[in-house]
Amino acid sequence: MEFWTAFYAISFYVATFILVFGLGYKIYQYAVTPAPLKIPTTPAPVTTGGVVVRLLSEVILFKSLFRSNKWIWLFAIMFHLALWIVLVRHLRYFMDPVWTLVVLAQPFGKYGSFIMLFGLLGLLARRMFVKRICYISSPSDYLMLFLLLTIGISGVLISFVTRTDIIQFKAFMLSVLSFDFFSWQTMPTDTMLLIHLASVILLMIIFPFSKLLHVPGVFFSPTRNQVDNPREKRHVAPWAVKKFETSSAPTTSE
Amino acid sequence: MKILMILGKLSLGLLLIMTVSGVSSGEVSMPEIPKAKNNFSAEQSCVEPIDLMRREHGLLLKHYRHDTMRRGIRTSEYSLIACVNCHVTADESGNYPTVHHGSDHFCRSCHTYAAVNIDCFQCHTSKPQESFSSDMEPVQSD
Repeated sequence: MEFWTAFYAISFYVATFILVFGLGYKIYQYAVTPAPLKIPTTPAPVTTGGVVVRLLSEVILFKSLFRSNKWIWLFAIMFHLALWIVLVRHLRYFMDPVWTLVVLAQPFGKYGSFIMLFGLLGLLARRMFVKRICYISSPSDYLMLFLLLTIGISGVLISFVTRTDIIQFKAFMLSVLSFDFFSWQTMPTDTMLLIHLASVILLMIIFPFSKLLHVPGVFFSPTRNQVDNPREKRHVAPWAVKKFETSSAPTTSE
Repeated sequence: MKILMILGKLSLGLLLIMTVSGVSSGEVSMPEIPKAKNNFSAEQSCVEPIDLMRREHGLLLKHYRHDTMRRGIRTSEYSLIACVNCHVTADESGNYPTVHHGSDHFCRSCHTYAAVNIDCFQCHTSKPQESFSSDMEPVQSD
């Protein structure tokens, strides 16, 4: 068993564990946190179906961002949509046989990575050169951009400049996925691949402790996920009922 | 403390899942690559060291194509015909595998595994010269 193979395989297990359970715990935490006020930003949908549409347009199209700042929206949407395509392309390392959709995504993912990097550089420039944003930026904000840029640049380099043995790598990844403890397939040890994977592992570990939590968080933001029906249905937080309304407690809405 | 309790339980569950699937998982699927007919030389099995061939064969072919097609330099160094002649082998009944689907063809075995497109054989033949009958002999490259 080569050192790097064991090192990366174990790191993948640890990182996946932290990502899955950390994220699970945060989602649980978000779900049980009370939203005591009815505060949908108006004009807001008056039905649950309308809220679903609103949230989806927020999650997929970044509607609020589009309304508030066009150029930031442009960089953000470039990065996020290209990231989706790149992620779909990477599924080929995790399945055999490869789904047709993933096969078809290959060339798009390959060149999508450049759009992703361009978007990231735009967001980095925003953080560095917009004075107001620069003032409120913490090291963690830069770290996320730095990690994503490292992943993106090393990935592009593997794809276009210093290649690796992707067959051997896929065999390694599949053996990791099928839990072949200490009989994993040997992974290729090209420097760029090691950098690429190390930064992915770091990002997975940092995910549940960082601003990357905006991924599940957007679904829980009260100004976006509430139905605008304060007159039809009284909005009460359960803890408020217990404390102040001893008699004839109203039915809780959410 | 409560968090630690939850995490502890969850990790136990994960460990259980891992052991169960660890027991059930067999061999990892790998491409079944047909063996080539000859070694390139006594010291070397292919035209370049295997590690290099695995990473760069596409580039070598592309640069060779550029030299041949754009600059008129035709050598037998990285000739696609020679690759196919040595690497593509017939099955027991004498049939040559197709490159267009499946994973039996030498190139296809890895390219299907990694979902990589092969453009070469839209124009070039994917079968060795020995597979053609004498009346449709392909042009010799060298």
